[in-house]
Amino acid sequence: MNKYRIYGALQIGGWLAYAIVQIVGSYDASGSITPRRIVFFVFEAMLCLLLTHCFRILLIRWKWLSLPLPKLIPGVLFTLCVMGVTMYFLRIPVNVLLGRLVNPRTAFDIQQIIGQSIFYGILFFLWTVFYFIYHYFDRYNTSMKYQASMVEIELNNLKSQLNPHFIFNALNSIRALVDENPHKSKQAINQLSNILRNSLASDKKGLTKFEDEFKIVRDYLGLESIRFEERLKTEFDIHPESHKFLVPPLMIQTLVENGIKHGISKLTPGGTIRLSTEVLNDRLKVQIRNSGHLVNGTKRSKGGLGLKNTIQRLKLIYGEEASFRIVNESDSIVLTELVIPQNRRHESINSR
Amino acid sequence: MRALIVDDERLARKELMKLLEEHPSIEVVGEAMNADEAIQLVNDLNPDLLFLDIQMPGKTGFQLLEELDAVPLVIFTTAYDEFALKAFEVNALDYLLKPIQPERLAEAVSKLADKERAMNIALRGPEKKLGLQDQVFVKDGDRCWFVSLNNVRLFESDGNYIKVYFDNNRPMIHKSLNALDEKLDERAFFRASRKHIVNLSWVEGIEPWFNGGLMVKLRGGDKVEVSRRQAAKFKDMMSL
Repeated sequence: MNKYRIYGALQIGGWLAYAIVQIVGSYDASGSITPRRIVFFVFEAMLCLLLTHCFRILLIRWKWLSLPLPKLIPGVLFTLCVMGVTMYFLRIPVNVLLGRLVNPRTAFDIQQIIGQSIFYGILFFLWTVFYFIYHYFDRYNTSMKYQASMVEIELNNLKSQLNPHFIFNALNSIRALVDENPHKSKQAINQLSNILRNSLASDKKGLTKFEDEFKIVRDYLGLESIRFEERLKTEFDIHPESHKFLVPPLMIQTLVENGIKHGISKLTPGGTIRLSTEVLNDRLKVQIRNSGHLVNGTKRSKGGLGLKNTIQRLKLIYGEEASFRIVNESDSIVLTELVIPQNRRHESINSR
Repeated sequence: MRALIVDDERLARKELMKLLEEHPSIEVVGEAMNADEAIQLVNDLNPDLLFLDIQMPGKTGFQLLEELDAVPLVIFTTAYDEFALKAFEVNALDYLLKPIQPERLAEAVSKLADKERAMNIALRGPEKKLGLQDQVFVKDGDRCWFVSLNNVRLFESDGNYIKVYFDNNRPMIHKSLNALDEKLDERAFFRASRKHIVNLSWVEGIEPWFNGGLMVKLRGGDKVEVSRRQAAKFKDMMSL
């Protein structure tokens, strides 16, 4: 339903309700009611609708909705007084039309005017309060929606993607392997297709099961071992409860790839990459150790961006509950550590 | 044509060898798995052609080329490397993307034949100095060139660097002028002063200068002063 139709329905429904309350109230008070009186109440409600509708047009034209409260209140109060008085005088021709006697003396009695005008003024005041509250609520709602979609867009931008350099190198190795070891080349094609399929699926998911991510990491390392041969050794030590956790897709893979790209591939004799996990107090600690040495500051421009993305991604998904660090554990080993909470709340990203 | 394959992956080298079986004009004389090995082999085997991977442990393919004195013909091979691809496209260097397509390889090989004729590579002996037919690899920031020494009119020392003058470019290379001077063929290049080496084939005019020195004018307008010490030698060389 668009906004204008909601407005129309509320206006008509509201003033109709007002008319009915007046009629029922009047019947209740005197025990009987004349048709003329019923018609009068209906007309009165229609006039109110007309006036408030004009008021709304002015509110929009004068852009009062975006005014700060101190500026808004005097203007609204003054307009409400004018509307109250206007309503009072609009009532007179209605009464005349309906053939009810209008005594000029009582009709223009100052007390009568002020009293009735204040009554209508209060009525319109309630209308205004309702209108503004609805408007502010609506605006708050859209700004929340906007923020949520901004977070989602940002997350999408930060999402890890497979490195094309890796894909083409893998394909090249597989091509050579077809002659040398057909069995191994078939296995490599399976590994590569598994990685590609998962990376395509991860575009639609906010979080993925640890075991799926672990399978990707294993396939990834399997392919890299074909390329690096004896230069790359891999070790795994996975805590059995790790499988209860959900992790951001391709995040561990990216960190492992980072370790190979900046660590092992730079070393002529190669090295070892070791992936281990621990579960402590409902938190998953993922540790990646690779041969190499972290150079601080210099030469980190490309790798630095990837890590920055990871940190930002963790922050958007988990707030302050996740942590990340990358340090030189010793002279020849770099440790990358990721701690992720197990919290059902974060699964909500999945349903979006 | 004698080729050297430089790639850190055994399977990648094997695949390329296999593809090259179709091209009898190219004889693979060696394989290197990193830049240092490659430099050694280039000096020992003196190949006419390099198939060169960019990303390797230790030094990159570009760094390898910068360390070579004379650079053979080069075909780069890479899987996917945004930065390298940009350099290739900007500088019109020949490259093959892995996995290598047989058609693309055939294209590159046929282009080589033309270049080979132009460069007259066959004449180069193992211990020969750098002459006008040789090319050098120059990299300055993102830009890189294979420059035939024929086109280099002047080397000018600038601190620890040498400015290489060719066309409208003056990129810097990290070398000392003395080291370069020793490698250049003295019949083609002349050490005019502490700061300059000129390409003799670019000399357009010679004027007497102060203190018994000379002022050499090169085609294109550059002027180089020849010190008094070198002036006598220069006159000797230029006169019959």
